[in-house]
Amino acid sequence: MRYEVTLPSMGDDSDESAKVSFWLVKEGEIVMEGDDLIELTTDKAAFTVPSPKTGTLVARTVDEDDDIAAGDVICILEV
Amino acid sequence: MNKGFPEWIRQAWGAGPDFRNTRELIEDLGLHTVCQSARCPNRGQCWRRNTATFMILGDVCTRNCAYCAVRNGPPAPVQPDEPERVAEAVRRMRLKHAVVTSVTRDDLADGGASYFAQTIQAIRHASPGTVVEVLTPDFGGAVDAVSTVLQRVPDVFGHNVETVPRLYPSVRGSAADYARSLEVLKWAANFTPKPIVKSAFMVGHGESRQEVRETLEDLVAAGCVAVCIGQYLRPTPSQREVVEFVPPQQFEEYDEMARALGFEYVAAAPLVRSSYWADRLIAAPFAETPSPAVREV
Repeated sequence: MRYEVTLPSMGDDSDESAKVSFWLVKEGEIVMEGDDLIELTTDKAAFTVPSPKTGTLVARTVDEDDDIAAGDVICILEV
Repeated sequence: MNKGFPEWIRQAWGAGPDFRNTRELIEDLGLHTVCQSARCPNRGQCWRRNTATFMILGDVCTRNCAYCAVRNGPPAPVQPDEPERVAEAVRRMRLKHAVVTSVTRDDLADGGASYFAQTIQAIRHASPGTVVEVLTPDFGGAVDAVSTVLQRVPDVFGHNVETVPRLYPSVRGSAADYARSLEVLKWAANFTPKPIVKSAFMVGHGESRQEVRETLEDLVAAGCVAVCIGQYLRPTPSQREVVEFVPPQQFEEYDEMARALGFEYVAAAPLVRSSYWADRLIAAPFAETPSPAVREV
């Protein structure tokens, strides 16, 4: 089953956006729930985004240096 | 976006069911948190741990410090039921340690002190075993307002000096005054019953080690027994730039320095904020002795 991983909302009052620094997982690799998928930066700090599921990363849908926002699909897992 | 963060300025993005539960509870109760308003990088971790720092008196501040992302402007009227809603959140979250802070409200006659008092009282009723920590503004130096808060017997009274005195004009602006903040802390330290008195400040604004030492000495002299030191991080491009990312080893030096000067509780690390892991910082005395939280008010 394919599962779309979205960037969760942090609950900010203002726009929640971040820039993709780099991926920590390659397409085709297996990730466990809680493993870090990607590193992002906001104005304030760098963040890692954990995988919400265990599965195989079949497609990255954002690239390094992309600006992304809460709710955007960042990758697809086969779970 | 700043892609140039050192490796130690890194946190987990907020995610997972526990994070969502905290976010939804805060939204349901219509509360503000400094976690959101200050864009705290730790909120993913804290909210996953089912804890948050409540910000009362609205989300608009009457001051405009150069480092802070909290909105500035004419605030909305205070919501009279806010203390009860905060208390309800503490009860639902089953917090053992609740931290309540506020925006600065220079427009209110008592600076909002009576709402701090009401919030402490409401938490006592809703969740009697909870350790209550307040982190207040300077109330314009009005000690009567400080007493209004202290009379409700918070377990921890916090007021942050935020930076070293030399940098007050550029970091805090003309409305804040270092000596006044020390007087607020001193007043709390001399109050009966005496709370644990706590302060915090940021580094990375261009201060020297000697200035950090002198600030710690001032805080000890004022009666502070707890201190938090963390890295300043610019929330948005509208705020003051970071002058320096202080390495973790230097925070270890500050930790040792603070303990050597007599602080009983010290948290010094890049991602420390004044209420970060507040429950753990102050946990020890409450494990060994009856909590002041159960004292008669």
